[in-house]
Amino acid sequence: MALKGLDIFKLTPRTNCKDCGCPTCMAFAMKVASGALPIEKCPHMSDAALSTLSEATAPPMKTYKVGGLSLGGETVLSRHEKTLVSKTLYAVHVCDCMDEAQQDEVLSKLSLVDYERIGERMYVEMVYVNHNAAKASAGDYAKLVTKAKALGRPLVLSCTDVDAAKAGVEAAKGADFILNGATPDNYADMSKLATDAKVLLGVRAGDLAALHAVVEKLEASGNKNLILDVGTASIKDAYANAVQIRRTALKDGDRSFGYPSIVNVAKLAGGDAHLEAALLSLFTCKYGSIVVCSEMTYAKALPLYGLRQNIFTDPQKPMKVEPGIYPINGADENSPCCLTVDFALTYFLVSGELERSKVPVNLLITDASGMSVLTAWAAGKFSSSSIKKFFDEFDINNKIKSRALIIPGKVAVMKGEIQDKLPGWSVIVGTTEAVQLVKYLRDEEWKKSYVDKSAPAAAAADGSAAPAEAPAPKKVVKPAPPIVVTGPYMIDDKPVTYKGHDPASQTFVTIGERIHCISPAIRRAMDSYDEGPILKRAAEQIAAGATYLDVNIGPAESNGPELMQWAVQLLQQNFNNVPLALDTANQKAIEAGIKVYNRTNGKPIVNSADAGSRISNIDLAAANDAIVIALCSADGIAKDNEERMMHCHNMLERGLHLGMESDDLWFDPLFLVVKGMQDKQMDVLNAIKLFSDEGLKSTGGLSNNSNGMPKHIRPIMDSAMVAMAMMQGLTSAIINPCDQRMMETIKSCDILKNHSLYADSYLEI
Amino acid sequence: MPFAKKPQVFSAKINELTLGTGDKATTLGGQNVFNLYTFDAPIANRPKIGIDVSDDPDQPSAGLAEFYAGCDTLAAKAAKAAALDNVDFVCIRFDMADPNGANKSVEDCVADAKAVAEAVDKPIVVAGCKNTEKDAELFSKVSEALQGKNILVLSAKEEDYKTVAAGASLAYGQKVGAESAVDINLAKQLNVLITQMGVKGENVAMNIGSAAAGYGFEYVVSTLERVKAAALSQNDNTLQMPIITPVGVETWGVKESTAPEDENPGWGSAEERGIDMEVETAAACLAYGSDAVILKHPASIATVSQLIAALM
Repeated sequence: MALKGLDIFKLTPRTNCKDCGCPTCMAFAMKVASGALPIEKCPHMSDAALSTLSEATAPPMKTYKVGGLSLGGETVLSRHEKTLVSKTLYAVHVCDCMDEAQQDEVLSKLSLVDYERIGERMYVEMVYVNHNAAKASAGDYAKLVTKAKALGRPLVLSCTDVDAAKAGVEAAKGADFILNGATPDNYADMSKLATDAKVLLGVRAGDLAALHAVVEKLEASGNKNLILDVGTASIKDAYANAVQIRRTALKDGDRSFGYPSIVNVAKLAGGDAHLEAALLSLFTCKYGSIVVCSEMTYAKALPLYGLRQNIFTDPQKPMKVEPGIYPINGADENSPCCLTVDFALTYFLVSGELERSKVPVNLLITDASGMSVLTAWAAGKFSSSSIKKFFDEFDINNKIKSRALIIPGKVAVMKGEIQDKLPGWSVIVGTTEAVQLVKYLRDEEWKKSYVDKSAPAAAAADGSAAPAEAPAPKKVVKPAPPIVVTGPYMIDDKPVTYKGHDPASQTFVTIGERIHCISPAIRRAMDSYDEGPILKRAAEQIAAGATYLDVNIGPAESNGPELMQWAVQLLQQNFNNVPLALDTANQKAIEAGIKVYNRTNGKPIVNSADAGSRISNIDLAAANDAIVIALCSADGIAKDNEERMMHCHNMLERGLHLGMESDDLWFDPLFLVVKGMQDKQMDVLNAIKLFSDEGLKSTGGLSNNSNGMPKHIRPIMDSAMVAMAMMQGLTSAIINPCDQRMMETIKSCDILKNHSLYADSYLEI
Repeated sequence: MPFAKKPQVFSAKINELTLGTGDKATTLGGQNVFNLYTFDAPIANRPKIGIDVSDDPDQPSAGLAEFYAGCDTLAAKAAKAAALDNVDFVCIRFDMADPNGANKSVEDCVADAKAVAEAVDKPIVVAGCKNTEKDAELFSKVSEALQGKNILVLSAKEEDYKTVAAGASLAYGQKVGAESAVDINLAKQLNVLITQMGVKGENVAMNIGSAAAGYGFEYVVSTLERVKAAALSQNDNTLQMPIITPVGVETWGVKESTAPEDENPGWGSAEERGIDMEVETAAACLAYGSDAVILKHPASIATVSQLIAALM
């Protein structure tokens, strides 16, 4: 938690002695707050003030490891703010007040729940060994600890009797454990015991004020390796304590409560198994670090571990479902297959409609990094190769006998490529929208396009009623036609010419995004080398004032290099060598495009590299003297600006090492959707400021912020965003230049930033 | 520095929404603190529990089949359900009206609803069959037949809010549940649209979506938390409607609750698994922001009401 300048000012001597080199203590405090000066520059700070400062900059909650398990370290109260880092751990309670048979039963049952759920082992992580001084001796306790230790899991020794605790600690030696036993009466002895054994000390007290007081005393004595027991007076008290301890630490910044917690629901539930289940859930939600129950059954565990897995996930990860075969409506191996991506919303939509159709269908979900169908396809994550890989990995050919494979209508262009890779299957182009699936399946429309590949002669199905679909032809890779230069392209009887661009100019660089294969018109045009729609969109964007044009040819697995070369030459020859951003997951296509690229109006841009699997696009840009858009993310969206800047610096270093100029790396903070990540917008804007402060250039798909908003809202939102981003130092954006409001905002900002000289007609030039 | 208690009390509060009439009427919402945070300020209306009663003769568990044994009509089932202690309202669900299923007529549903209203003195919530067109008609006709009973229809969605809000609330003065699928922006938008039609915000409850624990429940968590945070800390009166979460319909459909005992011998009694799935999901909903949960199993209801009582 960073301190504000005024908070630091209050800690300074306020004498304005100038020994630090600043004219006033206030000026000094402001410089410290911004990181420009270290606090040590002031020779007159009191020890108390220095310790307050170091307190204030320490993390709000301590992090510990016990036997490899992580405890604490949280910075937020809600999972949507930032990922919760240390999942709740579960322990089973065993007591030396039980007879031996009972103890053995509890310990033997403890291992019963042990299973895997989505890559995570679900089991009882700890054993909570309780001492009951009224019914058992220190020797009895040591015996039980020894027994519990044999399970090989970390122990929590719960014991407020110092002598018994000593015996317990002795018996626990060699194991990982926590000593939960400090009270207002015994804390000094217990603290010594825990410190000597180098273990965490659990603290309990009658109420929060008393607990806080003991913690302060322990801290004063030098022990800051603590865990707080919320108590067992009542469910109400335990819950109030758990919430207030965490809230006081994270919201109010009181470090004395910045420790993990222990909740004993075995005691709170008083033997009622269902109530215990309810409490396990409640304290997993808020805010138990270790939750102790009397017994872990599958009935309790199945929902509980699922809940925990849900809560402790990264809130920014796209909602993904597991790839695999999902039989719907009682589908079996003879039912036809529908294929789609692993984006959860797509899955829920498609599976919902499939269910409504009541037709048995196998839904095949492929790994597409949680992107929607078209986005995944454009990014090369949903391709004939990825589908083939999925079929091999999941052994679909042997698991399913049907050979009907219905693909999403939106990626009809992939049909030929998929057909090539899966020759035994009849690849059928399905509907473009999920809602159309019910009728499509009920009326068996897909059968009209089905071709039995096992039959010797392809039985041409009745094609009459299915105009869109002929029986799958083998994909023929068409050679690119010669480049057509149409002469000046006219819009409203005015010729469209590209005005040229000075790469050294400081004015904002707009990269027109409208030549993108996600658009069906462009997709069809790319597929058939039809220059008409491509030239039309290029002309519109150039007329609207775009600096660069982005050319997204999709993954173009079969003809990428040819297609890119054709597109580059087509656009540059028709439009006065308009500079281009080459946008595809296919590296060979980018390289081929650069080979025929004319640099008169600026270097080509490689769109894009990231700090993860696409980092080699930086090498590609370096080798070809190109600009590269560098996404500050690796796998998924960066969780904060610290991570964004780490990726930024990694890529910058790599580029510089390869001989690039820093000006040729344009950093993309990744603009996020307001509908969904409203609370992260300022992070993105602040990242731009960080780039700018380091003298780096930046760009990004700015209009992503307004994704999903109504058409009439988007220009308003985008204009506000671009104005704020330019204020932060954004130097470029990938946008729709035909959005007049946005272009006017950009031109106005360029005036205000003094990057272009004002004239009354500045909007028209 | 000694511990300084800093109660988090907001100047905004959740709307109070009363269902039913007479001394069995029940009130949701009204608090100016986060759910269950009685240590910050007293909460006048504890979270409420509804029981989910379907017209489907099949029950998802042996225990539920036993509980409803001998109840041949929806009214008989509803009466049996309403007689349970700790049930604050009865949610009747017309699963059999689905045109893609049994396609029970709207007239038959209305007759059922009337019989339920005769047999039950606790407040009534009406859920449909999830077919948008059928539900729109069903809600309007049931609202007419049960005029004066102050029922809640569950629910109006983006696709049909106009007919549902007009048919249930504007025409017959019933309460409307606004349903969205774990999307806070849509939840807000739907409330705006419904209130723009003339339905008062005080007559609206929200179902912001639900899921069983482990099944994408994180989206339920975050939507609940963000709705409550916006309602209270930003005083956003388009999100101050109390939240009703149907839990049972979700939890009794997942494999953890339904897989027979011989499938995974270690798992033990299916009945117990179903109850704990329902109880744990409900507890989490209440912790994050639901003002009412709708459950199916009498044992779950007993436990969740025990939990609520202990926290109040």
